Amino acid sequence: MTALAMPPMGNYSIALAASVECLRVTPWTSRSTTPEMMTLGAEAAPEFACLPFKATLGHFIQAAREGVEYGVMVNSVGTCRLRYYRELQQKILKERGLNLHIFGLGYDGIKPPLIRHFDPTPAAFLRCSARAFFKVRAVDRIEEQAWRTRARERHGGDTTRVMDTCLNDLDQARTVGSILAVTRSVRGRFESVPVRTDARPLRVGLLGEASVLRDKYLNHNLEETLGSLGVEVRNFFLLGNEMAKIFHISRWSKDSRRSLMRLARPYLKSVVGGHALESVAYTMACARDGYDGVVHIAPTGCMPEISVRPILRKVSQDLKIPVLELSFDEHSSHVGVVTRLEAFVDILRDRQRSGT
Amino acid sequence: MKTTGYLGIDVGSISTNVVVIDPAAEVLFTAYRRVEGHPIHSVQRAILEMQAALGDSVEVAGVCTTGSARSLIGAVVGADIVKNEISAHARAALQLHPDLQTIFEIGGQDSKVTIVRNGVVVDFAMNLVCAAGTGSFLDSQAKRLSLSIEELSERALLSQDPTTIAGRCTVFAESDMIHKQQTGHAQHDIVMGLCHAMVRNFLGNVCAGKEIKPPVVLQGGVSANQGIRRAFNEALNTQVIIPRHSMVMGAYGAALIAAKANPAPTRFRGYGLCEHEIATRGFRCADCANRCEIIEIVDGGQTLGRSGGRCRKWEQQR
Repeated sequence: MTALAMPPMGNYSIALAASVECLRVTPWTSRSTTPEMMTLGAEAAPEFACLPFKATLGHFIQAAREGVEYGVMVNSVGTCRLRYYRELQQKILKERGLNLHIFGLGYDGIKPPLIRHFDPTPAAFLRCSARAFFKVRAVDRIEEQAWRTRARERHGGDTTRVMDTCLNDLDQARTVGSILAVTRSVRGRFESVPVRTDARPLRVGLLGEASVLRDKYLNHNLEETLGSLGVEVRNFFLLGNEMAKIFHISRWSKDSRRSLMRLARPYLKSVVGGHALESVAYTMACARDGYDGVVHIAPTGCMPEISVRPILRKVSQDLKIPVLELSFDEHSSHVGVVTRLEAFVDILRDRQRSGT
Repeated sequence: MKTTGYLGIDVGSISTNVVVIDPAAEVLFTAYRRVEGHPIHSVQRAILEMQAALGDSVEVAGVCTTGSARSLIGAVVGADIVKNEISAHARAALQLHPDLQTIFEIGGQDSKVTIVRNGVVVDFAMNLVCAAGTGSFLDSQAKRLSLSIEELSERALLSQDPTTIAGRCTVFAESDMIHKQQTGHAQHDIVMGLCHAMVRNFLGNVCAGKEIKPPVVLQGGVSANQGIRRAFNEALNTQVIIPRHSMVMGAYGAALIAAKANPAPTRFRGYGLCEHEIATRGFRCADCANRCEIIEIVDGGQTLGRSGGRCRKWEQQR
């Protein structure tokens, strides 16, 4: 069967893989970038291209070397340089003599190019979309449980183990019924993890650029590192919300672009691109909802996210919520990241203790 | 009669610092020695030095390690607490100068600013990818000029008219220094120019967006450099405070943290650890695609600890 390379989107890769089964292709994907991909991508990419560009390019190069013929890449308008990434990556692959055709995910005429090429039957398309939809919801459920449990676990690593088995079962689930069965079992499985109940964990919002938020290789295992320091995180990049925004459904929900723009208006009135609006709006929401802090992460040189950092500093001062800014590229040192996170958590704990 | 002592160990890129304090936070012993590429040996020697100085008069009741080698050394000595160096430095500075508002800490490869308000740390920043403006650069320049690091420090004070050096990056700074030297500028003016460039770089990059309010405390290995002190005083228009134990503040902070935690009993492995041949061996974990390099710390047949993975799986196993 034909294979289709899909760059990692964290645990959502499981759902994305399910969504393309109707195209009669084998998804070639993983839940996070691997060091090999990173090396391949960094070597082939222009030095000043951003980390997600290098990571996804590396993914395509490795896929092409393993004989994968097709790939798919976001190229929607209204974001950042990301809209040119598909073209540029295609060119780089061609120059290196690699035969992998990358489809753009954006609209191009009535049907997206991917659908036009593989032409699934409407029934198969609907069936796979439904599976993907329920898998996205299942991933969200698993992650929310993991964030909560990890901050309280007695033995480090228990939560991650339970999480991995949940995700693997979800990956194996082929029918909507079995997907829902996994979803229902999530809560019970996490309840088997011994937890401590004595202290209130710190709550920290994770905000910033989508692929570093979601790819745990690119963000140095941010969620687990904070979790093991006793911090309950919430990752604000949720694919369900994102799809709702793209297809203009949930206009009235508090996560719609409209509501976010209204919330962020005192600080941000223009369009910046990327997830910059979300970064500002959710930082304000975190302050309002009693979070202890925010970690804002971005690839080094990420235009939209770096544009809003001065705004975040202002929000941080005005609303009295500590914000830690981290930038990642392929040279980032793991020790440096951990040191900053530990020091940040120390600050949050002092604040919690002194009650300010 | 034995006093209770708390041991703080700070192992950074350049130096290994050891401080022992008594329960009243008075310093009983300090050691500052170079790592010279071998953190474990340097710690063993420093602890031998401590044994020679204190003998059996002190009973170690708690140990805290800090610095970039904190988890490795924590496993080697049997630390009760492993603490990041930002918090350790802040703890030490606040002990000696409770009214401070800003801490500059410049070490071998790191430079940090910590913002304190009302005696509580509220913000910090650390240099990102470049070592310009840190101790190792001063070190390499001293070597290039065939000066000791102390001579370099004194030389800077002779300067009446420091020259301007490009401070953005060590490579450019070095070529600029050589250029100035070849066009005939006096060495002390170049050295002082370098100090100004480093301070400019620190204030412009690391401290970008931070509100620097006096009193300012300057600590870390580089705080011993007279030229850097002078450059800070001139740039900030205020007298920066050099605390009493400025060179070993990280270790002092760690000792204070150990004293506060007052673990009973301590996990300290005793002076005996200095005679052991403690080795490390690396392997690649094959459990996931990350293929992390894991370091295992071994003392004879006993595994003291493991570190290095991106997840904490190996650290948890004992």
